[in-house]
Amino acid sequence: MFDFWGRVCYTVCMIAPEKLRILTESAKYDVSCSSSGSGRKNTGGLGNGMPDGCCHSFTPDGRCVSLLKILLSNDCVFDCKYCMSRRSNDVPRATASPEEICELTVDFYKRNYIEGLFLSSAVHLSPDHTMEALVRTVKLLRGKYNFQGYIHMKGIPKADSLLVTEAARYADRISYNVELPSAESLKLLAPQKSRESLLLPMRQLQKERALFCAEKRKGFFLPAGQTTQMIVGASPERDGRILRLAQSLYRVTGLKRVYYSSYVPVVEDGALPAVQSPAIREHRLYQADWLLRFYGFDAEELLPEETDLPLDVDPKCAWALRNLHLFPVEVNRAPLEVLLRVPGIGARSAQKILSARRYTLLNFEHLKKMRVVLKRARHFITAGGKFYGAKDERCIRPLLAAGEAHAGARQLSIFDERALAAHTGEL
Amino acid sequence: MIWFFDGSRQAFFTAFLYAFRDEDAVLSAGSRQLALGQDCTFVRADAEKAKKCEARLAEIDPQCLKEFDLLARSGEEGRWQIAFSYLRLVAARGKPVRGMLAEDAVSEATECIRRVTFELHRLKGFARFMESESGALYAPLSPDADIIDLLLPHFRGRMPQLPFVLHDVRRGKAAVWDGAHAFLAPLERAEVALSANEAGWQALWKQYYASVNIPSRARLKQMRSYMPVRYWKFMPEDPSAAERKAKQAAFQTPRDGAPRPQGSL
Repeated sequence: MFDFWGRVCYTVCMIAPEKLRILTESAKYDVSCSSSGSGRKNTGGLGNGMPDGCCHSFTPDGRCVSLLKILLSNDCVFDCKYCMSRRSNDVPRATASPEEICELTVDFYKRNYIEGLFLSSAVHLSPDHTMEALVRTVKLLRGKYNFQGYIHMKGIPKADSLLVTEAARYADRISYNVELPSAESLKLLAPQKSRESLLLPMRQLQKERALFCAEKRKGFFLPAGQTTQMIVGASPERDGRILRLAQSLYRVTGLKRVYYSSYVPVVEDGALPAVQSPAIREHRLYQADWLLRFYGFDAEELLPEETDLPLDVDPKCAWALRNLHLFPVEVNRAPLEVLLRVPGIGARSAQKILSARRYTLLNFEHLKKMRVVLKRARHFITAGGKFYGAKDERCIRPLLAAGEAHAGARQLSIFDERALAAHTGEL
Repeated sequence: MIWFFDGSRQAFFTAFLYAFRDEDAVLSAGSRQLALGQDCTFVRADAEKAKKCEARLAEIDPQCLKEFDLLARSGEEGRWQIAFSYLRLVAARGKPVRGMLAEDAVSEATECIRRVTFELHRLKGFARFMESESGALYAPLSPDADIIDLLLPHFRGRMPQLPFVLHDVRRGKAAVWDGAHAFLAPLERAEVALSANEAGWQALWKQYYASVNIPSRARLKQMRSYMPVRYWKFMPEDPSAAERKAKQAAFQTPRDGAPRPQGSL
């Protein structure tokens, strides 16, 4: 609705656009975006859980918008060096009221803009005060507004454990960010947070959830589990160490996901690198993370502790190249766990192969028809006894690396600087 | 021989019975260029024959009729031929064939079904409602496949109290939930008087969409591959304007030489 001057009019609880901007811009560096894992049913209110999750939009940075990612407040008493909301940083501050957040969530949700709410906050006044405000907001949303969509809540380190348990009754997922891969880096860059203040509530929630499930109590207790996030590239830890930490978080703490956030310099500080961490490193970490969770790999197999993942080829290719004595495998006979270890063959392709080979002897034509990607796989498989990969083992790595590089290749233009250099012989 | 039919389910199964033994059979519901010397027949729907044919297929594999339903909804030209080849294989082998992915008929049908169900999944996210004065919600859509009636139960499940209309503007029909009943209705054009706050919420959504983006990490190709341009038309956040802005910014700031990931994250 527009007023006499053509300005947009708002009702009382509609959040001011400037406040929304401030609170979103401070929340956007949290990479968690999934809305999967909750099967919450609608019992007369608004919304339900969609177990597979759902993306509602994509921003120009290629990330999905699934949840309304917002802070309750960006007014922080902590002074974490990498964070744009840190106390010593001179940025505009804002705090939203629980009603503003609830109205925004409900109205965005019913227009199908979002799948739910991702509610976080800077540590406003004290950890307990902040956690209480978060819990109050979520309770209001579930109670007065009868909202049954997805809610992801951020845990505030050092908040009282009773508040954490209370939050878990209303949220679908809670996440504590481990922030940095080692206790030393955490001490250096986030002096008010400690390893224990992050890991203890995670373990507490894990135990309480196990008890809740074992006793088959009614209601919900974190149906979508817990996740965490760490910043990559702000501290000197190598990929090997990061992946070992992720592996222990999956296996010991039972997390659903570990997110890796490539470091983006938003504040200047002597203890931080001045350049953005390359996106390719984050990408390789995610690939390795998938190998840990869905492909039966151990971090120890993928790389030694004090090394980084290679950037030129993906982690599965790198593993296969180190273990060439295991290849090629025959697609008509190899069991599922071996097929899953072939570079270029993912979970879906492996299932397709298992299904199709029950009826016929598969050859390369069949695989192509089934849309199994052979660009990488051809060097590591035989189909019907035939091999179409590189004859010389030494050629495989350059071919795989070139395959990745060529994806960004393009026809040279005659007016291109590089083409000009080629014409003049400088290249 | 080309077997023309009117595009209805009954006519398809009648034509199926006739064409089943014809090795070079082509089923078509549209216009088609005939090859030299090629025969063609127009098949009329025969309720009894169609029923018999469906019953036999259901006996062999009840799931295959559900798959046919999805194939028939696809907006692709060749969908009838794909469905025909697939069902013919089912009938010829006398048992379910969906695992035989090395067969052309099966892999084509599987891919076509995947495209339909994938669009259904995408639209669960990309549909955008606007609120009318009466409080009812209205979402215009232009899907490739005819799937609005499959989309309706999803939204009914999450907001059973709110009446809403899913309008397929391409096919001129609407799926309506009035709070108690769900039905399909023909609808060419709709004029919606928007509620007083609608413009305000849309402006807030635009603000949110602009704020949540990280400009220094532009990856426009990925944005387009996850959210194809054909779905942008009814989105209040206007991704094309965001894309233009990101392109301008990229033009002004030189890219670092760091390698970038290909494909999806």
